[in-house]
Amino acid sequence: MTHTQKRIITNNIVMVLSTLSAIIGIGFLFWILGVLVINGVDALSWTIFSEEGAPPGYEDSGLKHALIGQFMIVGVATLFGVPLGVLAGTYLSEYGQKSKLAETIRDISDIMMSAPSIVIGAFVYAIVVAPMGHFSGWAGSVALTIIMLPIILRTTDDMLQLVPSTLREAAFALGAPKYKVITQVVYRGAKAGILTGILLGVARVAGETAPLLFTSFNDNFLNTDMMEPMASLTVTMYNYATSPYEDWQKLGWAAAFILSMFILTLNILGRLIIMKRKGK
Amino acid sequence: MSLIIDKIFAHSTKLVAISVLFLVAWIFTVLFQHSMESMQALGFDFVTETKWAPNLEKFGALPAIYGSIVSTFLAMILAVPLAIGVAIFLSELAPAKLKSPVGVSIELLAAIPSVIYGMWGLFYFVPIIRDTFGGIGISMLTAGIVLSIMILPFMAAVTRDAMNTTPDILKESAYALGGTKWDVIKDIVIPYAKAGIIGSFILALGRAIGETMAVTFVMGNVHKISLDLTAPATSIPVTLANEFTEADTDLYYSSLFELSLLLLVISFTIISIAKFYFLRRTRVA
Amino acid sequence: MATIVDITEEKALEVKNFEFTYASADEPSIKKLNMPIAKNSITALIGPSGCGKTTLLRAFNRMHDLYPGNEYAGEILFKNRNILTSKEDLINLRIQIGMIFQKPTAFPMSIFDNVAYGMKLQGIKNKTELNDRVEKALCDAAIWKEVKDRLKHDANGLSGGQQQRLCIARAIAVEPEVLLFDEPTSALDPISTSGIEELVIELKKKVSIIIVTHNMQQAARVSDYTGFMYLGELIELGYTEEMFVTPKEKLTEEYITGKFG
Repeated sequence: MTHTQKRIITNNIVMVLSTLSAIIGIGFLFWILGVLVINGVDALSWTIFSEEGAPPGYEDSGLKHALIGQFMIVGVATLFGVPLGVLAGTYLSEYGQKSKLAETIRDISDIMMSAPSIVIGAFVYAIVVAPMGHFSGWAGSVALTIIMLPIILRTTDDMLQLVPSTLREAAFALGAPKYKVITQVVYRGAKAGILTGILLGVARVAGETAPLLFTSFNDNFLNTDMMEPMASLTVTMYNYATSPYEDWQKLGWAAAFILSMFILTLNILGRLIIMKRKGK
Repeated sequence: MSLIIDKIFAHSTKLVAISVLFLVAWIFTVLFQHSMESMQALGFDFVTETKWAPNLEKFGALPAIYGSIVSTFLAMILAVPLAIGVAIFLSELAPAKLKSPVGVSIELLAAIPSVIYGMWGLFYFVPIIRDTFGGIGISMLTAGIVLSIMILPFMAAVTRDAMNTTPDILKESAYALGGTKWDVIKDIVIPYAKAGIIGSFILALGRAIGETMAVTFVMGNVHKISLDLTAPATSIPVTLANEFTEADTDLYYSSLFELSLLLLVISFTIISIAKFYFLRRTRVA
Repeated sequence: MATIVDITEEKALEVKNFEFTYASADEPSIKKLNMPIAKNSITALIGPSGCGKTTLLRAFNRMHDLYPGNEYAGEILFKNRNILTSKEDLINLRIQIGMIFQKPTAFPMSIFDNVAYGMKLQGIKNKTELNDRVEKALCDAAIWKEVKDRLKHDANGLSGGQQQRLCIARAIAVEPEVLLFDEPTSALDPISTSGIEELVIELKKKVSIIIVTHNMQQAARVSDYTGFMYLGELIELGYTEEMFVTPKEKLTEEYITGKFG
């Protein structure tokens, strides 16, 4: 056998192996997705949205409490995280630029984005839960805000940098002060990108469970007081899925399905916005 | 008037930006302060002691550290070859019609929350491990496998992106010398994208070691060092998730904070290595 | 019909009724093209952007096969066989017909390994043989003196002109019969360019050369034959000295006198 023949055979073997690993990898992932959809759709019903949690065995139990809690915790986190992140990102792109301070903030934010979220939970426990003496919706929101901040900050920074500098110069040439140039010209130019960053940031924190375990904790019933422990879809999912009761497990799958669809929708929306802008 | 607003705006953006640094410093400080009691009481024994028995006021973190390392190591062994295979498939092999849909679904799967992977692991993978290896199915091995599947989409997507940075003209040059696809991948694409690929693997490692929910479901939180991979085990995040709300003494509470600090330091170090040594100037979210 | 000069030498390649269609296109980019390529001489391909000259060049080593869906029709004869058939052994074909690209393409490895790469692919492992042939190729590419003391260094540390000569060394190290140059000096400064041009002229003693260039002076300086292409067709192929003075076709005349393109 010549060397070239050997090379061709090796090539074919590797190509088969690579295709096989792609099939295995993708197979696993679609298995998870399939399980999620089958169990989720099976568990869906109107009572999921209309009823609160109930002890195992009760027929009329739902996820209303968790859905509302989730919405409030993530909503408040978004309310804080987005403006703070956008402001900080504005500093990096428009004022700090390539300065040492700006580069340091960028690096630290990048690291924060991959840091373990459960540690943020422990931190918030120490600064919010312990002094208050009890778990609360606020504590959960604070934890999610901290996780969201670096994501929004870095995407804003990146998106503002994409705005051509000639646009800024043109506005300055008309005599506009810098804050007006930024808020009226630069933000407008980067609108789609910032929006995508926000969508992805919300999607990311909406799936967080670990930092909520000991901040917002959980509540099996509807509570809209942010000062009190609050249910979230993720923690509810965790509690229900690890319970021995079949009806609770079923609710857990419904929660998993609703949450995944929400997160996937945000991700797809974000992609579409970016794609539409590129298409222009 | 305009000038004042201009100054206020500039300063408030700077203030918020700097607060990010302050926040990180604050996190380290708070975790450190709350770890003090355990550090003073247990000293270095904390990381070498193997017995974790809160009721006896014994806090040895070695089983959790061991579990974190072994489960992450298992996950990496399984995920790295698969990720490379998927990346090669996506960047060099797949027909144009498959490239985009498969690529996008992999990226979307990376966005699925880890709690879902954990739940899938508990209901669908634990029984398989139980039937294959005996035992209860909740084990170090299960945790490693579920973790590997969770990090696979991220690793594959980033590896593919790194491979795609190889200029076509460089690959064509190797084909023009009579190279096969595999020759071109191993001699040109992988060496060219090496820093990016290794960086993304290390970044995935940094994430895996801090991952909580994918493993909490399937690991068992048993503080025991066992060479048997099919035995239940624990890791630092699993211990935190299971025990934080149960800590009833100051030392227990403090030792959990010391675990948090330890985990933060470990992941910060790993992520920094990935970022500063391998991914300088490239950004991987 | 195109005006094609009678070639008296032996032919290295012969294009017959060649058509080429890109995967995404409805119309062929090259239409019914006939063209002989003389052995041990330099044939330049000129014409405005999009005329198909690079497309034609990349057909000679079947580079188009790297991207699915591209279609060939007609024949390209090389050593009495049509290389456009699906039976063609592409690895072997590409060893015999080498290529140099628009930009230097130093591989991410040492200078030595770059030049040895093609030989290693062929399974040559003998150290002395590799050393000898690498040295010979680097000498033939007129770069040996500059790099002989740093063969183990990363090839990306060389200048653009040096890298391009390294790529030529890499291509000739496997002793091809034909070399395809795709605008080899478009990324280089004038001094490096004249170095490469001298080298190309020197190389024709051993190989047949086809060079695509957008620079008519370059075609005039280095080539023996020049083919002028326009809108996917060969308009004229003639002796370079004659064609730039007395073109036979009106289109050729307009192009070389700068009336369009």
